Amino acid sequence: MRLAALDAAATKGGLRLGQSLSDARAQMPLLDSREIDPPLLEAAFANFADWHSYASPMVSVLTDAAPYGDLVLDITGVSHLFGGEASMLETVTGKLRALGFSVIGAIASTIGAAWALTHCNQPQIVTASIAQAIAHLPVSALRLEDQQATDLIQLGLKNIGQLYDRDRKTLQARFGESLLIRLDQTLGFLEERMRPRLPLVERFAERRFADPIGLMDDVLMCAHDLAVSLAVQLETEGMGAKSFHLFLYRVDHQVMTVSVNSGRATRDAEHIGRLFANRAERLEGDYDAGFGIDMIRLAASSVCELEATQIGAFETDNGAQNLERLYDRMANRLGPLSVLRPKFVNTYIPERAVKLEPVIARTADDPLAAPDPDAQRPLRLLPQPEPIVVIAQVPDGPPVRMTWRRIGYRFVKASGPERIAAEWWMGRQLPILTKAAEDAALLPGSIEAYYDEAKALRDYYVAEDEGGRRFWLFREGLYGLEDRPAWYLHGLFA
Amino acid sequence: MHGLSKEAKLEALRSRIATIEKRPLLAETPSVAELETFALPAGMLHEIFTDAHRNTAALLGFALGAARGLVTPERPAIVYLQLSAETSETGLPYASGLAAFGIDPEIVILIRAETIIELLWAAEEALACRAVAAVIADIGTDPKALDFTASRRLGMRAVDARGTFLLLRYGLGRSATAARLRWHIAPEISGGAAFDPNAPGETRWRLKLEKGSWRGRPNKEWLLGWTKNGFDILGSPHARRLPVPAPLPRAFPAALGDRLSQTA
Repeated sequence: MRLAALDAAATKGGLRLGQSLSDARAQMPLLDSREIDPPLLEAAFANFADWHSYASPMVSVLTDAAPYGDLVLDITGVSHLFGGEASMLETVTGKLRALGFSVIGAIASTIGAAWALTHCNQPQIVTASIAQAIAHLPVSALRLEDQQATDLIQLGLKNIGQLYDRDRKTLQARFGESLLIRLDQTLGFLEERMRPRLPLVERFAERRFADPIGLMDDVLMCAHDLAVSLAVQLETEGMGAKSFHLFLYRVDHQVMTVSVNSGRATRDAEHIGRLFANRAERLEGDYDAGFGIDMIRLAASSVCELEATQIGAFETDNGAQNLERLYDRMANRLGPLSVLRPKFVNTYIPERAVKLEPVIARTADDPLAAPDPDAQRPLRLLPQPEPIVVIAQVPDGPPVRMTWRRIGYRFVKASGPERIAAEWWMGRQLPILTKAAEDAALLPGSIEAYYDEAKALRDYYVAEDEGGRRFWLFREGLYGLEDRPAWYLHGLFA
Repeated sequence: MHGLSKEAKLEALRSRIATIEKRPLLAETPSVAELETFALPAGMLHEIFTDAHRNTAALLGFALGAARGLVTPERPAIVYLQLSAETSETGLPYASGLAAFGIDPEIVILIRAETIIELLWAAEEALACRAVAAVIADIGTDPKALDFTASRRLGMRAVDARGTFLLLRYGLGRSATAARLRWHIAPEISGGAAFDPNAPGETRWRLKLEKGSWRGRPNKEWLLGWTKNGFDILGSPHARRLPVPAPLPRAFPAALGDRLSQTA
């Protein structure tokens, strides 16, 4: 076990990072040590990173070379908002110091250089050449593996500057390609991309508060106001958006995010405001403003073109727009998987012929999948065919009695059978219920199983009982070929 | 009001009371054309009961049939609500079956709510939308949240927005409700099929008006049959075969340009 982080007192006592725990205990018998909990720290750090999106839209956490990550902000085109790079660095780190964190920050034109400077405790802003600024730093500041750093030091290559004029081929042969990649990334010869934690948004509206706000109603009112200004912004560009995200920046460096989606691109502020209000009703329990919210940002993503529409003249108002808004609101309050539309699939297997699709994520209909209007299909299809006990007069005849959910029914009328067999042209897609077909699917290349009349087919009957209730039931397999074909109830007719 | 006849005066007074009480105006004396067909009055809350859960399809069929009659180009949608726990018991309406029953599945939206509170919220939202022809809520149990206040609220909302709310309930118990009309439905042995006497024919229901008065008729029982046009009153002196009509208009004629060709 090794030390991953130290507080001020421990550093003063002479402990260092990477030291083994037993050594440290020997040095400081009263040492108070805790085991590191990476998931917890990562989550906390990620929250903390999100909060920094107040300063720059591109925030990311580098996890490759530190126990719980390094915070990286891309400040291209942002620093002037804080009055220059120096003052921005001061503002950002100063805020954290005020909260009681120890923090080191550096600004450089590559991620690697900034990393090297901060990890060697040299807070500065590199304006001239990177190569000069980091030449005197130890090689371990290049984010190398331990072994690579030790090997370099053994050969007397202690500083980064000593690597600049070395023959690259030998370096690669001796220390592996990763050394060269790290060096090039640090010097800016090789591009290094950061992965932003929050989706990158180009269109947003934000508002900062002198006094933090806390009430949900205030937040929603502000969201509506922001929606109005965002709508104006979108309208000038002729755009609309399908997703809207509300970022609430809490005073105690946490960010809460609420997202709503719309089935069609929109920029109607009223509608966006209502979607957030509906969403908030559901959030009520989870909402916690802490010590208050000092900034709110409303961002639009999935942006696409939306032409201005003329209202009034010659328009047939068929309520389609009202409906879409209704579906948006319902999907955002109840969840997209709760508001569904049926969609036909081109197959004969009843349970697969219709699938349910979220209304706000509709896909194009398959013109070949439209159902046969003459086929008798039940009004309700049970989620799964339910096994029933059936008595038929003659083996192949229609059913006479059945027991379903422990209640007996006597049929007075019946029609059928309608035979539905496994679709051999669909490859391995067989009705799930057919046990034989499941077995067949396990055997590679046993195409004969699809033609097996005893197994891979169903005979459907419509049967009506004395009370006028009508059922859709089927026999799986054939008499004679199967010992006791099983019966199932699959649907109910009106 | 001096020059008016007695009937006209009564009619005017009734409409005034209806506005004050926020309830839809039901004609007391039906015309002959109305007697020949059956359609649930629009713009109000109906409670429809059936005795047992196994009649669920008959109940749903009746509700959908009634809702189909309310679909117009201005109100092109039917919203169906059910608790998601109950959908795993009975299953949701099946789109191929809807098509066979004469309802365009395109206009039906299915909503699975997690809790009864959410279901009631969704029902109210849907009722307030003026493009929804009918809201069908299928509630298998007798939840506490669905009390007199809730039904009163839904009823008022239905009258305000002129939407129709069909509340499907099961069992023999009846609790207090603000619905002005309460129906009871039972499946009935079907009529004969055209070429096979042993096969089930067209669907039939036995309908009873349990609460409220409608059309001022003494007999409050109907035997209804299903035709391609909608309900058909059987066993009534006024009943007469209806002509086979043109198919229902599609839901969104304005959106045709975005869709695939209709002839493909």
